[in-house]
Amino acid sequence: MDLASYINSLRDPAGVPFYPFVFQFLMVLTFALHIIFVNFALGGSAIAIWGKFNGNPHALRLSKALARATTTNISIAITFGVAPLLFVQVIYDPFWYTANTMSAWWTLGFLALVTMAFIFTYVGYLTGKSNEKGGNIFWIIMALVSILLAALTMHGLSEEQLHPDKWKEWLTQTGTLKTSGDALYAILIPRLTHFIVPSFAITGIYLMLYSWLFRERKDFSTEYLDYVLNLGVKIAFYATIFQVAAGFWWLLSLPSHLNFIVNHAFLFGAFLGMALLVMLAMAQADPKKYIFPSAILGFVTVFFMSYARETLRMAYFKGVNYTIFDYRVAVDWGSAILFFGTFIMGIIVVAFPAIVAFNLARKGQQN
Amino acid sequence: MFPFWEVPAFTSGIFIALIASFHILPSHLATGAFWFVTYLEYRSIKENKPHYMDFIKKFTLLILIFCFVLGSITGVGIWFSATIASPMGLSALIHNYVWGWATEWVFFIIETVAIYVYYYTLGKIDSKTHLKIGITYAFASWMSMVVITGILAFQLTPGKWLETGGFFDGFFNETYWPQLFFRTALMFVIASIYATLVASFIKDKNAKGDITFKASLFGIAGFILMVLFSVWYVYKLPGVPKSLDFGGVLAYMKILNKMVIFSSVIVVGYLVYCTIFPRFTNPVISIGTIVVLFLGILGFEAIREGIRRPYVIYNYMYSNNIIAKDVPAKGIKAMGEKINKDGFLSTLYLIPDDFRKITPKNRLEVGRIITLYQCGNCHSMEKNGKIRPLPRYVSNLGMNAPEDLAVFLDVLEGYPYMPPFFGNEEEKLAVGSYLSTMVN
Ligand code: HEC
Repeated sequence: MDLASYINSLRDPAGVPFYPFVFQFLMVLTFALHIIFVNFALGGSAIAIWGKFNGNPHALRLSKALARATTTNISIAITFGVAPLLFVQVIYDPFWYTANTMSAWWTLGFLALVTMAFIFTYVGYLTGKSNEKGGNIFWIIMALVSILLAALTMHGLSEEQLHPDKWKEWLTQTGTLKTSGDALYAILIPRLTHFIVPSFAITGIYLMLYSWLFRERKDFSTEYLDYVLNLGVKIAFYATIFQVAAGFWWLLSLPSHLNFIVNHAFLFGAFLGMALLVMLAMAQADPKKYIFPSAILGFVTVFFMSYARETLRMAYFKGVNYTIFDYRVAVDWGSAILFFGTFIMGIIVVAFPAIVAFNLARKGQQN
Repeated sequence: MFPFWEVPAFTSGIFIALIASFHILPSHLATGAFWFVTYLEYRSIKENKPHYMDFIKKFTLLILIFCFVLGSITGVGIWFSATIASPMGLSALIHNYVWGWATEWVFFIIETVAIYVYYYTLGKIDSKTHLKIGITYAFASWMSMVVITGILAFQLTPGKWLETGGFFDGFFNETYWPQLFFRTALMFVIASIYATLVASFIKDKNAKGDITFKASLFGIAGFILMVLFSVWYVYKLPGVPKSLDFGGVLAYMKILNKMVIFSSVIVVGYLVYCTIFPRFTNPVISIGTIVVLFLGILGFEAIREGIRRPYVIYNYMYSNNIIAKDVPAKGIKAMGEKINKDGFLSTLYLIPDDFRKITPKNRLEVGRIITLYQCGNCHSMEKNGKIRPLPRYVSNLGMNAPEDLAVFLDVLEGYPYMPPFFGNEEEKLAVGSYLSTMVN
């Protein structure tokens, strides 16, 4: 048996119950949503820490707001994380399950880290709730550290999947089969950097939206909101510069035979990233005009970058002759309709509480 | 076969058992609580009882943290722990039920948005709209149970799926309805105990008594229904009325049964106490009850696992991830025959190349690897292992020649709770040799 047929033998014999490209699209889309909230949790808690030490009263107020937002952000990040976690198991099961069983303790460690991040942010938020100066920043620092370690772990587990040609070496280096699950075998710093730096761009854009959302509220002063807006647009701009640099760094670290530099999805994503950079540069002078264009372009860029990430994975897997498109398909219309019907219904239902919350945030308490 | 993960003394399944059992508390609290909360909110609006809203605020915060932190993470944790302990088993569930899980995810999103908005808008928007958000939450969270129960029940009783391979044939299987009703009743019990816990912190004795009394009635009603539905559930279990302890062979199943009964008695006793002395509850007793309840759940889950043995998906896939049965409708073939012919090693790739051929030099090590794969899901390999230590069990057989132990592998099939051994003669001898090193 060779590696390619071994990988094929790991596929589920039931095949997949719908067209693989649909799972792939849903995976990319939900991953983009997931990573935005992961970024926001990471960047938000980092800026919350900065704001606490900054000394400026506006920064302190923002720090409190971000500490509170981080609880919700982690929650939403997990909610959106469930979906790509589901779909990756459908189309990339041989790789996903191999990496996780090889590094099983890290998989469990990831769970523990996310739990800790979550608990620390809640402790930080709840202890700071009734305190003028905000909560004890120690908790937010611990939360940030946990999020970073969780990111590192998940990164390692993903990177391992991309190198099936090394699996055997990793597992047999002791002369027998390794079953301890204690090592994380692959880390690629440029790639990890490229996932962490955008946290600041995303959080910067969020701050711009924040200044818009509360603009009509009497309990938010214009000076404060202008401060947040200007801070946001600056952070977003500089983070995007770093992000472009990190992108090139990653690109150069890729094996040349993948030829990723001429990959269409990548080129389009890179083009959008540059466009975002230009827009944020223009926005420095009059940020108010650029709030929505930046937010929309930012999201579209993240989506296409997720898509580029997926095409990179496909390029890697060509090496072992793996493509999702030859997964045996046995379409199950009944359950597919169940999902898509529920999905449409879900969007309508979610709109109700979401609009209530939006109106409350925008206009403040009426009575 | 995927790489194998060995957990000394405890086996990898311990993590699924702990995480999945724990998850029952937050998940059932999340689905059950708001039927009571919205009822209270309704009364509060109608009769203008602000102390209900004070309670609701605290209770909702508990739910946010306990269910949407620990509950969400343990929910994902069940996947992760199954991934590393039984990858093919999880893969089978995912590939047949991906749309079911995706559907549940939609309800999970509705739940998450609704509960946060409910909490942060409490007292800040008009009360009728707020109540509607609560009702949205209650309904969406229960719908996620309606969906997930089908997949969980499938694992225990795949029903007609084994012949047709159809999504709904496996979903609406013979234990689906009893499980759904049982879990629905259970969620009322769990939610009511947590409600009395939160109420026990209220300082105003009248308010405390009022809420505790209502919550415990709610729980007692749930308890009575739960007992009724559990009879229906047990009756529908596979191999029942074949006795739950494999005809008395497995003594520990009896102990588990007693654990569940003990826990139920304590829980109902606590709820009755709360209806009689609702003003005299205290957090320590409530938390103690929750701990006992958790032990009951652990026992109950272990029984379910025991009934399913030797399968991870009943009648379809063994605990060691070997497919037991053809499912022609899906084009799935049982793996045993092929493995017996080509050898178990033919399913492995990530092993040292010189292990492909069994030699006197590598026999023990190859035997160890095959033993891990085929027995290691249920047996720990250490003499003083905590979960069914193989050295003790093998020593009790009273044989120690590798050849005799290799022959023993052929009779494994005769045990109702163990899968047959799969492999060729050389591999049996390798496993036999390895097992003989365990005997002292
Ligand atoms: C599906 C889970 C499972 C698997 C897989 C499994 N066993 Fe067992 N085994 C059990 C259970 C359950 C018992 C009974 C434990 C008890 O008595 O408490 C048992 C008991 C035994 C005993 C004692 C039998 C007796 O008559 O006292 C031996 C020996 C044994 N197993 C060997 C093996 C070997 C060898 C393998 C691998 C080839 C294996 N088992 C695979 C679940 C399993």
